[in-house]
Amino acid sequence: MVNKVRFGFLGTAHFHADSYGRAINQLPDGEVVAVYDDDERLGKEFAQKFNIEYYKSPDDLLKREDIDAVVITAENVKHYHLVVKAAEAGKHILCEKPIAVTVEHADDMIKRAEKAGVKFQTCYVMRYHSASVLVKNLIEDGAIGKVLALVGTNKLNCSLPLLRGWFTRPELSGGGAVMDHTVHLADLIRWYTKSEATEVYTEIGKNINPKIGVEDNFLTTLRMENGAIGHIDGSWSYAAGLYTWGDVTLEIIGTEGVILLDAFRQNIYYVGMESPNDKLTWYYYGCDPDLEMIKSFIECILCDKEPIATGFDGRQGVAITIASYESAKIGRPIKPK
Amino acid sequence: MVDKLGVAVIGYGFMGTTHLSAWKYIEECELKAVMGRTLEKVKEVAKKFEVEAYTSLEELLRRKDIDIIDICTPTNTHAKYAITFMEAGKHVFVEKPIALSLKDADEMIRSAKKNRVKFMVGHVLRFFPEYMKIKEIIDRGMIGEPVIARAFRGGPIPEWSPWFLDKSQSGGVAIDLAIHDIDFLMWVFNQRVESVYAKVERLVHKDITAEDYALINLRFENGGIALVEANWALPKQFPFTMKLEIDGTKGMIMSDNQSPVPVKLITNEKVASFAPETLPWRPAVHPFPLDPYYRELKHFVECILEDKTPMTDGEAARNSLEVCLAALKSAELNTPVRLPFKEG
Repeated sequence: MVNKVRFGFLGTAHFHADSYGRAINQLPDGEVVAVYDDDERLGKEFAQKFNIEYYKSPDDLLKREDIDAVVITAENVKHYHLVVKAAEAGKHILCEKPIAVTVEHADDMIKRAEKAGVKFQTCYVMRYHSASVLVKNLIEDGAIGKVLALVGTNKLNCSLPLLRGWFTRPELSGGGAVMDHTVHLADLIRWYTKSEATEVYTEIGKNINPKIGVEDNFLTTLRMENGAIGHIDGSWSYAAGLYTWGDVTLEIIGTEGVILLDAFRQNIYYVGMESPNDKLTWYYYGCDPDLEMIKSFIECILCDKEPIATGFDGRQGVAITIASYESAKIGRPIKPK
Repeated sequence: MVDKLGVAVIGYGFMGTTHLSAWKYIEECELKAVMGRTLEKVKEVAKKFEVEAYTSLEELLRRKDIDIIDICTPTNTHAKYAITFMEAGKHVFVEKPIALSLKDADEMIRSAKKNRVKFMVGHVLRFFPEYMKIKEIIDRGMIGEPVIARAFRGGPIPEWSPWFLDKSQSGGVAIDLAIHDIDFLMWVFNQRVESVYAKVERLVHKDITAEDYALINLRFENGGIALVEANWALPKQFPFTMKLEIDGTKGMIMSDNQSPVPVKLITNEKVASFAPETLPWRPAVHPFPLDPYYRELKHFVECILEDKTPMTDGEAARNSLEVCLAALKSAELNTPVRLPFKEG
């Protein structure tokens, strides 16, 4: 029986590849051993950083028998074929969100992982963040009675998607802010209400940044099957000079009270005195949800447990995202697939 | 020195009392009368503010020395009072919302024009110091073109004034509370609303007729969007909170009345926060130059004396009401509703 999970990375286009890699190596029962990226420069850079082997072909990496699991942090549209290959090779799969850009792909990914008998976990890090887990426990304990409405932000500093060009190229990302930042809040809302969205309505505004080819702001209204209302603002619209990357906040109204979550609020404020223009910066000291998520994934593999954020959870996020685009196009609420 | 303008306030509830306090400090005016339904209570208020008490509209109308009528009664009664006094040639200030229907609002606007009197609606948010600063920052072009906004306004259900809980009197949270931010956003975006998609519900309080929760998505004519959350569904200990964030093409602004608190009082029994300049009912300094209620009334008086149009005139107030009514319709039909909104 193995007591250590060896990871290969399939694609490193997403920012999170670095932090997931560091998290794996931080854990006694995890190790990053190989990387594939179709962008040789990115792949080699990652290989050098982690002192591991670079592969030009995903198949060659997947042939390695000492690799137990893969982390898929390629561009969104590439997730599907990489998951298919990984499942065929019998590797456990940790897939960045959104897991796919179509519901059909997401369904097929789940089916293939099931057939191959491998773990398939979606990178919904908020399911592992101590603050959002505490909220889950408070709700389960009945602290605010029945949950009636959940209104949240997962907004992003508008400069960040520009750092990696593919985020704003729909042929690689599948879309802009809606594709990128619907799923975390959609998943928290599903998780907290234990209910699925039956209705999605989205307004996409004119762009903050007219130079990019994808939408950068939106407002999504959800109706859950149990009657709860949800609302998601995942806009990439925070000004570039903001003291932080963005946020995850959620106001949860129940019959007996309200919970206000501001998951990345634990920061030290810092400002230098190099120049009068030195800007206020936040230094975060709260929970590292990437680390907690990797820890949980490794535990699922070693102890043969079901992931907390499953492929199905990933699929439901994709379904809400696709319904969002459709609703914005036709101008009325629709039911996700 | 010309004679002072005589003022009468109709209604002595929360807003009536707030206005009565503010009128006392407007030197161009003399507060002369207060009117209400229950004689005993009106007398009590009148004594406190050293004015005369009325329960009869006809008697008050006979007073020739009253120039300004300030209407702080439940919203469903605004039109009736406003039009009666306009017909009598009085300048009329009416608390927001202007009315519960566009028909009433339009009649009020027509009556003010016909009788050549000044008419202003108390969209006091435009006179709050933080919102004035937001307007100034946006007007200076510091955030570029406003593109996406979120506004939050809420606290516990206003049980202290039971008429708010009656839909037929207040119109519920989508009209009474959301109208503040809707008016302000239309003003700073400098845009008409093109369409509205809303959820308006009796979320927590099922035993009242008014809705206690509204989530209103606005789409402006220039393609900008905004979320307005108006919330009376919060627990009793929740401090009254107003937040606004607007992201634009060149920058963003954020405001939250719960964070800039200059005075906190903490005892073994309670924790209380005070922002004295913006809480007129607990003024720290008299007169209180930053008090928004004082300033909106002062603005109205200036408009009368200098023959100007109030910045929150009948038209502006009507346009804000129109968006609220569209939101209610959207929630009822579960579909976006385009403006202009047609009643009925």
